[in-house]
Amino acid sequence: MKKLAKAVAIFLAAAMIAGVSAGCSSNKASSGASAPAKNITLTHWLWVDDPSYLKTMQTIADDFHKANPTITVKLQTYAYADFNNVLTTALAGGGGPDTASFKLTWTPSYTQNNYLVDLDNSISGWSGKADVVPMLWDKMKEAGSGKVYTMPWTWQVLYVYYRPSYFKAVGINSVPTTFDDFIADIKKCTTTINGKAVKGFGLRGSAGGQEPWGSFIQAFGGKFADASGKVILDSPETVKGTQAFIDLYKGGYTPATAPSDGLSQLETEFNNGQIAMFIHHIGSSVTMVKANGTDISAFAVPKGTGGQWTSMGDTENVVLSASKNQDAASKWVEYLAEKDAVSAWDTTTGNLPVVNSVAEEPAFKDNQFVKVSMDSQSYAGIFPILPTTANWVSNEWAPIMQQALTGKITAADAVKQLDAKLKG
Amino acid sequence: MKKKINFAPYLLIAPAVVFMLLVVAYPAINSILMSFQNYNLTKPQQRGFIGLTNYITAFHDPLFYQSLINTLIWVIFGVGFQFLFGFILALILNRDFRGRGFIRSAALIPWVTPGVLIGLMWTWMYDGNYGVINDLLHKVGLINTFIPFLSDANAALPCVIITLVWQGIPFFAIMILAALQGVPGELYEAADVDGCPAHTKLFKITIPSIKNTIFVTTLLRIIWVANSIDIIFSMTNGGPGFSSMTLSVYAFKKAYGTLDFGYASTLSILLTLLLMIVAVFYLRNFFKSADEQ
Repeated sequence: MKKLAKAVAIFLAAAMIAGVSAGCSSNKASSGASAPAKNITLTHWLWVDDPSYLKTMQTIADDFHKANPTITVKLQTYAYADFNNVLTTALAGGGGPDTASFKLTWTPSYTQNNYLVDLDNSISGWSGKADVVPMLWDKMKEAGSGKVYTMPWTWQVLYVYYRPSYFKAVGINSVPTTFDDFIADIKKCTTTINGKAVKGFGLRGSAGGQEPWGSFIQAFGGKFADASGKVILDSPETVKGTQAFIDLYKGGYTPATAPSDGLSQLETEFNNGQIAMFIHHIGSSVTMVKANGTDISAFAVPKGTGGQWTSMGDTENVVLSASKNQDAASKWVEYLAEKDAVSAWDTTTGNLPVVNSVAEEPAFKDNQFVKVSMDSQSYAGIFPILPTTANWVSNEWAPIMQQALTGKITAADAVKQLDAKLKG
Repeated sequence: MKKKINFAPYLLIAPAVVFMLLVVAYPAINSILMSFQNYNLTKPQQRGFIGLTNYITAFHDPLFYQSLINTLIWVIFGVGFQFLFGFILALILNRDFRGRGFIRSAALIPWVTPGVLIGLMWTWMYDGNYGVINDLLHKVGLINTFIPFLSDANAALPCVIITLVWQGIPFFAIMILAALQGVPGELYEAADVDGCPAHTKLFKITIPSIKNTIFVTTLLRIIWVANSIDIIFSMTNGGPGFSSMTLSVYAFKKAYGTLDFGYASTLSILLTLLLMIVAVFYLRNFFKSADEQ
């Protein structure tokens, strides 16, 4: 019996040690997988707003493989909310993909750690360069301090969605063109329409709300940064714009849930006829049209006494410097910015095409939401690209603004805190 | 003559010891070490030991104190009401009545439901536009307009505490019920003979007899609740503002929101120290009482 116990003990201990060793050796095997091979497999990380979009992306990857038989692209999706952190963690740990979807505001925190490949050289010889909307190159150079680390993929401009039947019901005959009219129309729409209690504006108090808030502060003359990139958020104009934002909530012109409302809440509130207007981009248009038929339209964010600004949303693709197949990876991200891939992706997702040849296609050109987006292009901007921006957008703005909305701090305190957090 | 060492017992426990060292000791020691480091994954080149800087930062951080106060409220009211209602439920379930078996099983449902699912379920129930709670309150005429429970800085924490209480009642009920079934019936018979009223039997027989169970379950629940993040995270994400931010949620957000693992470890270590104070207090009382018995 004793011998048996001893044998079992030895076996278990050996199994344990073998298990640990196996774990170590498998790690080595996976890191050695990048040994030179004729056929290359690239790993591409991305997020998709709807699971069905992945099917389109897989078709694009398959088409790329057909055109480049030695390169296979393996797609891996992560939730957008975690994407930046998952990618940063993977890179800090020495792993990560060959290519990934990306946001311009993330650029400094990646370039300061040399995680991104400078694409200037490969782009100079790329035939599709001239087809890209020129403004996008400017934004990408701005993000990379003069260098291009990102390849365009999709872009969006925020505008105001509204319900025409509500405008008609309260006697608004044309969409507002000034910010004062915009606020006045929000107040007019806060009433009972067809027996339903309607709020004029869907205010986004949770993450992502910094974009519509940006339009408010700039309408009153506030600015994020000066020409040299110095943060100048803390100004009387920004406080005034912030106060106007808060007053909509405090005055009862938004749903009472506004401090914690995110995009999905706003879309639900709009689809249920609970709000008359809200600010978002073309990415919502496909599902919103499905839900509301013809009773949905859009107008550009109006001009205020202090200026006019709307946020430009973006998604790019990058090549990670840890990739052992950077040439193939560059080829892949270039392919994604070419006509066929852009057309396939934007037809499915409803985003704005990054290349002119697709933007000129009737399906896009005649789309009312594309038209409003294009009309807003001249004053669309991005948040200042600083090492602190990604964290400010993801973690700082919402809790500070929620405190202001719920009366825990004043608009001036909120602006002061937002300024300090953006400065870092 | 040299005594022969029998290695068999050591070899038998070796796998468990190795496993524990890997999954408990290593992360714990690593957390302590990280709490003394600048360990932010967005700035890997700045990584290094910085002494007590993270601890000093925590003691000057207003959000640390707000989270600490919220943690105390979260634990005291969360565990307190769980215990109270769990105890009452256990007393009810200890009685003979028709359908007791079914009720006992059904009462376990909140406890076996995953925390994130509970969070999502209650978020919908509390919803300020379409929530069933608002609908019921409106229908019975208690409110005229819907209340934005989770969007209100004063209501968010009490609301998530109610959800936590709902989740934890079965744990106390089942544990206390098991203890109640071990209380000898003769004690109650003797009390009945002496003409003791119900509340005397409760405080002189029932509670003293199950005191150890109460101590252990409360201690366990305090530790679990203080460390839990799933319900708060899925319902309010610590907001609006920081109104429902507890220390564990704050540490989690620091680690996985800003990737500042150094400061997150410091917050975790401080929470651990606080819990150890509570644990030592409880264990001392528990063991003292066991010795007395």
